Amino acid sequence: MSRVRNLTPPCPRVALAIATFALLLGSTLYSFAADPAVQVQFDAKHAGPRVVEDLTERVILRDYRFAWTSMAQALEFNTLDPLEGAFAGDARQWLRDTVVRQQQSSLNQRYANQNHKLEAVFYAPEGDVMELHDTAEYQLQISDGAKVIHDEHVVVHYVVVMTPAADRWVIRQLQAVPQF
Amino acid sequence: MLRLFVICAPAMFLVALSQAQDIRVPASVTAGEEATISMSGSGRASFYLVGPGVSRKSEVTLGEEIHLQAEDLRNAGEYLAVICSGTCRTTSFFVNAAKPHSLTFLVHPSRVPVAQGDAVSGVALPFDQYRNLVLAPETIDFQLTAGAAPLLSRSVRTQGGISWFRTSSGKSAGTLQVTASLNDLSTRRAVQQVASEPCNLRIKGERTATGVVVQTEPVRDCAGNAVPDGTIVSFTATVGSEKSTVDAPIKQDVARAQIVAAGPAVISAASGVVIGNEIRVGARP
Repeated sequence: MSRVRNLTPPCPRVALAIATFALLLGSTLYSFAADPAVQVQFDAKHAGPRVVEDLTERVILRDYRFAWTSMAQALEFNTLDPLEGAFAGDARQWLRDTVVRQQQSSLNQRYANQNHKLEAVFYAPEGDVMELHDTAEYQLQISDGAKVIHDEHVVVHYVVVMTPAADRWVIRQLQAVPQF
Repeated sequence: MLRLFVICAPAMFLVALSQAQDIRVPASVTAGEEATISMSGSGRASFYLVGPGVSRKSEVTLGEEIHLQAEDLRNAGEYLAVICSGTCRTTSFFVNAAKPHSLTFLVHPSRVPVAQGDAVSGVALPFDQYRNLVLAPETIDFQLTAGAAPLLSRSVRTQGGISWFRTSSGKSAGTLQVTASLNDLSTRRAVQQVASEPCNLRIKGERTATGVVVQTEPVRDCAGNAVPDGTIVSFTATVGSEKSTVDAPIKQDVARAQIVAAGPAVISAASGVVIGNEIRVGARP
């Protein structure tokens, strides 16, 4: 899988024009990124062996959306705070590691126009573990300081494990896979 | 236009000199193993590796192999390799979990009445040494033993990194050992099986100087297991049109209560949803 983006300004004048355009585009994207709306469609009909309760379905939808909003904020602004509460265990650890390493390397990632098709595939008999498949679409932009090094609309498949915490469901595993 | 070309051409030529061609990444990478990325071309470039738990930048020489450290590839998931030498090129690859190193095993409940259908369940998730969920199918062996007696032995393939079982509880009170095994990995949990609802609750009573002393026969469930101490038995005495109730806990298999009643009384007992026999005690002489 090879993706090419020509991000080299061909000459100073053109570069100036591109920079101006990028600035305007960037401010537009930023204002969108501040919008917390992350689209999530959740299908719990095929989960088993336990049937997903209506209330649980609503809570999962709420908490999954919150988790991605939090993750996007953490990776865009390189701050750890948003990761508290939405993630736990291994998922929180690798996200924290990512943010710390991004701080060191001056990189950041922006997840824009998020659209998730989430499906519950396993719900434990006692209701203490749920596995979900998420087909996520978003615009992924990676920047080195002010320089955008990668900008692409991607479709990524995630295997997600969530467990209930005191007042919400948290993500414990978030693993991208080539396909389900 | 010509002027623009004259200005831009040298810069474009220099860029072209150091431009990269193809990025070659390994088809499959196992978590915690080293890997190499190669890229044709010449000149210097910036190399970025972005993935779960990693985000690093380094300067590389095009045409030479880029060595990825094992510690940068510990988390399963998708990684992006970005090489910028004028133009930025991106290639992605996936890191898969390594072989199972531990088993997370959730068993419910911790305490269960005997002979209950589908009362005990367990969920097992294999993880590699870097705590990645192993998604490749594995066979988990579930074994339930009560004392020395095997209760259940079942092999279940993981689907999406999860396997599970559900079964009835055993017939005898005591500890139920529940084990999940995968190759040489084994995780054990214990479930305490306790007596179910009392069965054939029977009481007897005798008049004393101050009232009536009533007590149960040893309270057992239908499988003969002694009902645990502390289980409440309610004694109800009807004297004429008045009713009074005394709750007494079972202590060493028996629940006992003293009821103040001078006249003839009808006394019954109940525990949970189980109702015992009725006895009639005459008036105080």
